[in-house]
Amino acid sequence: MIHARRIVDELLRQGVTDVLGVPDNAAKALLDLLAAEHAIRVLTVTREGEAFAIASGLWVGGRTPVVLIQNTGLLETGDALRGTAMRMRVPLVCLVTVRGYARMAAQGLRPAAGALNGELLSRPDLDSVALLTEPTLSAWGVPWEGLSSDHDMARLSAAFERARELEQPVAVLITSETVAA
Amino acid sequence: MGAVRPWARLSEHALDFASADSAMGHAADFALGLALAQPARKVICLNGDGSMLMSLGTLVTIVASGATNLVLFVLQNDTYEVTGNQPVPGAGRVDYSAMARAAGFSRVHTFADTAAYEAALPSILQGAGPVCVTVKVEPGTETPLGRGPEQTAAYLRPSLAESARLLRRALVDPR
Repeated sequence: MIHARRIVDELLRQGVTDVLGVPDNAAKALLDLLAAEHAIRVLTVTREGEAFAIASGLWVGGRTPVVLIQNTGLLETGDALRGTAMRMRVPLVCLVTVRGYARMAAQGLRPAAGALNGELLSRPDLDSVALLTEPTLSAWGVPWEGLSSDHDMARLSAAFERARELEQPVAVLITSETVAA
Repeated sequence: MGAVRPWARLSEHALDFASADSAMGHAADFALGLALAQPARKVICLNGDGSMLMSLGTLVTIVASGATNLVLFVLQNDTYEVTGNQPVPGAGRVDYSAMARAAGFSRVHTFADTAAYEAALPSILQGAGPVCVTVKVEPGTETPLGRGPEQTAAYLRPSLAESARLLRRALVDPR
């Protein structure tokens, strides 16, 4: 469990000006807080790839955006991420809420690119997106940090530092539910 | 149509930006980001119809964002010009300005005549947007775009990353 306020406070501390993404249940508490935060503009997009292109334009224009999407939507973004934020060297933090991690853990599985195949990815007791998330980020050259509790907040700060240092997108996987209080 | 090289024959300005060597279909949303970041400037996006079809949802996002400083041109030649002029889906039937109006654009225009376009252009560029302008053009013979020092268009010589850095510097720290 992560208190959404902690994430919002860190976004404010990092000078974030815009959050772009598509809502999902796991981000509800975070989005509710962001909606009330006057220093940060939230823009809902129609498809996750748009978020990376708009974020790139915002950064070129002098703003400090972040992307907030679910891991299912992340898989949709491939060419947009590659062709905009990565190709333009945008120091962009992408917050990714994750679906399917609990079921994956319950089966004693970890994401591993070499183990992926049609049989595993079609198992009804697994949400295949969880198996694909980290191997996909690796394939796309996007480093990531994991955020599973309030104690991990330094990793969010580290992701911003890493994005600036590497001049490229860095993902933060939010692997627990965000709560309001 | 491929607008990047034709534009380079008309202009060589520090604020020109070629959406080339990037992700196809993401010129309009990148331009939206620029427009939101730079509300005191007017951002003009020259999009092709094939590119627009790849991100029609962006028409909705533009309006929902509240950006009033974006002029979106859709250059409609009904083909994927740089890959050999194969027809786009719906070639000859799709009304991009009608789709923009349905998405909430209050100002839309369609031109198939040069004189009418030239007469209307000054007023199109005035006032609040967003504006969508569909310009029906003949298919040309533009070839795939590259970047590098051998390019004749000045804004295609730097890498996309360097172009982004140069534009950011021009917009944010123009000293």
